Amino acid sequence: MKPGNFEYRVTDSVDEAVSLLAEHGDEAKVIAGGQSLVPLMNLRLARPSVLVDINPVRSLGAVRRNGDVVIGAMVRHREAERSTELRSATPIVCHALSYVGHPAIRSRGTIGGSVAHSDPAAELPTVLTALDATVVARSVRGERQILAEDFFTGFLTTSLDADEVVTEIRMADRKAGWGWGFEEFSRRHGDFAVVGVAAMVAADDRDRVADARLVFSGVGATPVRAHEAEEALRGESAGSEAFREALAVAARSLDPPDDLHGSAAYRRHLATVLGERALMAAWERSSGKDR
Amino acid sequence: MATTRSVGTAALRIEDQRILTGRGRYVDDVVLPGMLHAAFVRSPVAHAAIVGIDASAALELPGVHAVFTGADMVERTKPLEPINPPEGFRFEPVPALAHERVRFVGDPVAIVIADSRYIAEDACELIEVDYEPLQPIVTIEEAVDPAVPAIFQSLQGNVVFEKMVSNGPVDELFAQADLVLSRTFREHRIAAVPMECRGGVAEYSSGTGRFTFHASTQSPHSLRLQLSNCLGLPLDRTQVVNSDIGGAFGLKISHHREEIALCAAALWLGRPVKWMEDRNEHLLAAGQARDEKLTLEAAVTRDGRVLALKGDLVVDSGCYVGVPFTAGTTAIMIGSLITGPYDIKACAVNCRVVVTNKATRNAYRGPWAMETWARERLLDIIAHELEMDPADIRRRNFVRGGEGDRMPAGLSLEGITSAESLERNLSVAGYDELRELQARGREEGRFLGVGFATFIEAAPGPLEGRPRRSERARVVIQPDGHAIIYTSQVPHGQGHETTLRQVASDELGIPMEHITVTHGDTQTTPFALVGTGGSLAATMANGAVLYASRAVKDQLLRAASELLEVAVEDLEVADGDIAPVGVPSRKMPVSDVAMRAYMNPALLGDDRDGEVLSAVFDYSGGKGGWSGGTHLCMVEVDVETGHVAIRRYLVVEDCGQMVNPAIVEGQIRGGIAQGIGEVLLEHSAYDSDGNFLAATFMDYLLPTSSEVPPIEIVHLESAPNDEVSFRGVGEGGLLVAPAALTNAIEDALRPFGVEITEQYLPPSRILELVGTV
Amino acid sequence: MSMTVELQVNGVERRGETEARKTLVDFLREDLGLTGTHVGCEHGVCGACTVLLDGEPVRSCLMLAVQASGHEIATIEGLGNPENLNPLQTALRQSHGFQCGFCTPGFLMTATALLRDDPGISEEELRAELSGNICRCTGYQSIIEGIMQAAHSLAEQQGGE
Repeated sequence: MKPGNFEYRVTDSVDEAVSLLAEHGDEAKVIAGGQSLVPLMNLRLARPSVLVDINPVRSLGAVRRNGDVVIGAMVRHREAERSTELRSATPIVCHALSYVGHPAIRSRGTIGGSVAHSDPAAELPTVLTALDATVVARSVRGERQILAEDFFTGFLTTSLDADEVVTEIRMADRKAGWGWGFEEFSRRHGDFAVVGVAAMVAADDRDRVADARLVFSGVGATPVRAHEAEEALRGESAGSEAFREALAVAARSLDPPDDLHGSAAYRRHLATVLGERALMAAWERSSGKDR
Repeated sequence: MATTRSVGTAALRIEDQRILTGRGRYVDDVVLPGMLHAAFVRSPVAHAAIVGIDASAALELPGVHAVFTGADMVERTKPLEPINPPEGFRFEPVPALAHERVRFVGDPVAIVIADSRYIAEDACELIEVDYEPLQPIVTIEEAVDPAVPAIFQSLQGNVVFEKMVSNGPVDELFAQADLVLSRTFREHRIAAVPMECRGGVAEYSSGTGRFTFHASTQSPHSLRLQLSNCLGLPLDRTQVVNSDIGGAFGLKISHHREEIALCAAALWLGRPVKWMEDRNEHLLAAGQARDEKLTLEAAVTRDGRVLALKGDLVVDSGCYVGVPFTAGTTAIMIGSLITGPYDIKACAVNCRVVVTNKATRNAYRGPWAMETWARERLLDIIAHELEMDPADIRRRNFVRGGEGDRMPAGLSLEGITSAESLERNLSVAGYDELRELQARGREEGRFLGVGFATFIEAAPGPLEGRPRRSERARVVIQPDGHAIIYTSQVPHGQGHETTLRQVASDELGIPMEHITVTHGDTQTTPFALVGTGGSLAATMANGAVLYASRAVKDQLLRAASELLEVAVEDLEVADGDIAPVGVPSRKMPVSDVAMRAYMNPALLGDDRDGEVLSAVFDYSGGKGGWSGGTHLCMVEVDVETGHVAIRRYLVVEDCGQMVNPAIVEGQIRGGIAQGIGEVLLEHSAYDSDGNFLAATFMDYLLPTSSEVPPIEIVHLESAPNDEVSFRGVGEGGLLVAPAALTNAIEDALRPFGVEITEQYLPPSRILELVGTV
Repeated sequence: MSMTVELQVNGVERRGETEARKTLVDFLREDLGLTGTHVGCEHGVCGACTVLLDGEPVRSCLMLAVQASGHEIATIEGLGNPENLNPLQTALRQSHGFQCGFCTPGFLMTATALLRDDPGISEEELRAELSGNICRCTGYQSIIEGIMQAAHSLAEQQGGE
């Protein structure tokens, strides 16, 4: 399982990276951590003619917090997982990252890489969608900001143009009053999720759901945001009954795949089980409540 | 002189000195000057006619030396054939590469030889093969259907073997039954998946005519015969030599077509060629295991006595015939051994083997395991039907192991300790407490289950009824007093370099550090069809080494007797010194005696013929006997997700005397881990078109440290019945773990009325059985 | 295309010329002759190829050799030798940690980093941390015992200082 031939270019500047991408178009692929790309290349399922290695780009390697939370695309999963800033600003990200593969994968894998790869069973795309995160992409034509929900468009497909590179992910700093929940079921520890759920819940002062986010992984070609369920939750008294009903609404609209690791019916069922657990956890974490 | 015996202790492994420091030498570490690299073009379809192969573009790629196809193999080599297949087993000999037809996804169609594996794979992509698809035959049901076209035209149908294995008055006993229960059990397709894939380096020297194959094989001598036969090489100039082997589990007993193609390429090019299989190829094409269907009927009395069994077995052996051993042998074993340690007086199993468009079946660690699984499952089902505790139904039916106890198939069951192992296990486990835990759990909405299963394994089997076999060892004491053991064993994790030295050290009186084991090289080791496999080493290899060592020691003492002028019976050897008993001050080092014996062989006796300080012993297994035991596990099933957690796993086992308890336990735990994988994680799955679905480790899931719990082991160590009383444990763990586990899962799901007759129970299946999904 | 790779391996400066597409594990094994690191799957799951890159465990089958230029690699060959096993290796020998040895290099490098960062690791945590290294022979118990024993020895040593 050896990769095919390619021209290798390495750069320490975003400007050079985007020039290279502009020059080679869809013949080129960016390599960061390589934890998703290299297996595909080894299997010869991915055949870039040009590989643009952006590992030395230092400007993309920071986590910043200044009103917003900004994670540079080259931040390694391990760094993000251990980042004290992220732990306090967006703890769901740190928690979800502990499910990503194993430590050796997280040593190299990057936030930007995971986002650009867009695997529907992966943790980060789902969590970022639930956080209303923005993906920032750069090309020779300038910078674009794309809402996470619009960014992941299909199986291993994003709305990135061939000559764009993800530079950072932006999210609101820990929204006051919001609680988070993240649940995942996988065949083994560290595997891709069969089904995963990222839930965010904000409470009003009368124990009712002011707002919610409910996003599933593993149930479609992209993370699936359950808009109807979120709508059903708004204004409801928080608790397992409301959550269960909302999940029934969500399940009806899900069209999960059938594969070796689970049937569609099984995934739909898991979505409701995990979804309830995630909503309960998010509720419990939402601030100002005595539980 | 006091000696500490090594046998029976967890002596540290000499292998670890190289394994722990990265200084092992596996076949991929073999590098020869001028070495080229091979890669295979493999069929992407399950069944097709090969219309044409165009390798012109590949041959033009810089760095590519040759491309060979099935046509070359058919023209210039002989096909592989099994050794002594059972009478009536039909097969077509197998050419090294697919010729005219491909018959499974992954079927090798061409071999490319290039400067590097990278370039070879580039070249593979440039080879165009034209396929005309044919109807794929993928299931047992399709294969037994006479209306379905034959995969091998000369074989008239896809049932290639059928034999009724019948012993005892089956019909009579069925007529006496109060109750007849029948169930159809299905074992799915899995694979051995050692961490080291297949591979080898082939080297031919046209000057000397010597052919050397650096291999990773469990059967070097048998492979040597095949190479010589297939490639027309003179046997006396053909050598197979192993390096360290990164696991095998039976897969590397098989002789693989890729090995023949690789060797042919090296022969024809006159340059060394390496092939190292990658994981994707391995999962596709190295061969798979199990995939059997057994309908089992039991004639039972109202009070739980099982009188007789009837069965219909079909084994799906994939497409090409197994070499050197066919699936027919395993099918017969299942039919013969299924009564196990129980007093079941008659058994008739119709055994069939079918071919399908899937990878060839290998013998994977206890290939006959269906007999243990189906029987132990059926016993639980019968117990439930009769409202008996599963322990009681076993107690009611166990053979006690007395003289005269035997299986319907004739094998003596004298000495088995199955009943003891069950009682001991339930006692150590605290069976009643476990049932209480289960009851409390149910009140809390938790689903705990307790399951256990008992097995016996013919390792080597009793003297009466087992196949005649013998194993040779040669022991030589060198002029410096150090000893070398030449064994036909081919260790690949079993620690034979350590255990055989423990036996020899105790017998010879020489420290372990002064003994070496030579293995894996056909030029220097004794012939054996299978080097290591079949759980036989414990008895056969240790026995051969023991008696060869004893014969050498006799020679040593004879020489010492001359030198010390003391009668042989008044001498003893310990810690490398020979001294008269009770007079340690007169001791002579073995090294002195040995050197003098070499210089003056008359010291060994004027009348004596033969090599100095060297002995060969062919050991036939002595009285032998059975290994076996009872495994118990407690599981908790999460009925929301279908996840199965193993809360406790307890083994009570009896393998007679142990050479090295740490190594015995490692073998058992490894087998159990594979059993956990078999039931909860692993599936070599094909779709209805014969496309393979589990070709990477993302889809073929091996158990990790998170899935395998701590496993407690209690040893029964039943009394020796012979001087050599070590019995094999290589396969036991995997033989019985699936039974213990599935028994526990069914027990956990009892409140849902679930009955389990299939072995693959991933979370989604659990929820289907429970009815949630 | 051919590229120069310059890196430090087990404390020694090493250099090679290789194709850009050559993976780090192949470079270590073939170009540098360090065959202690093993190839198990080439898609990052089995862990047999694990080495330390600047002290952190990585899958060398998922890195290109050129990406390791300028970095420090630690492989099993740097840990100890047959006459002088290091404490981790000694403990794993005592516990009969391994059987065929093919997965061993990956486990040792993973464990080396783990024990350095968290010598007080619990058995439960260790089981989870090791789940990225696959062994087909042992059922893991003997490996866990060995590494826990090494952890205790290291903790004692550190406690005594």
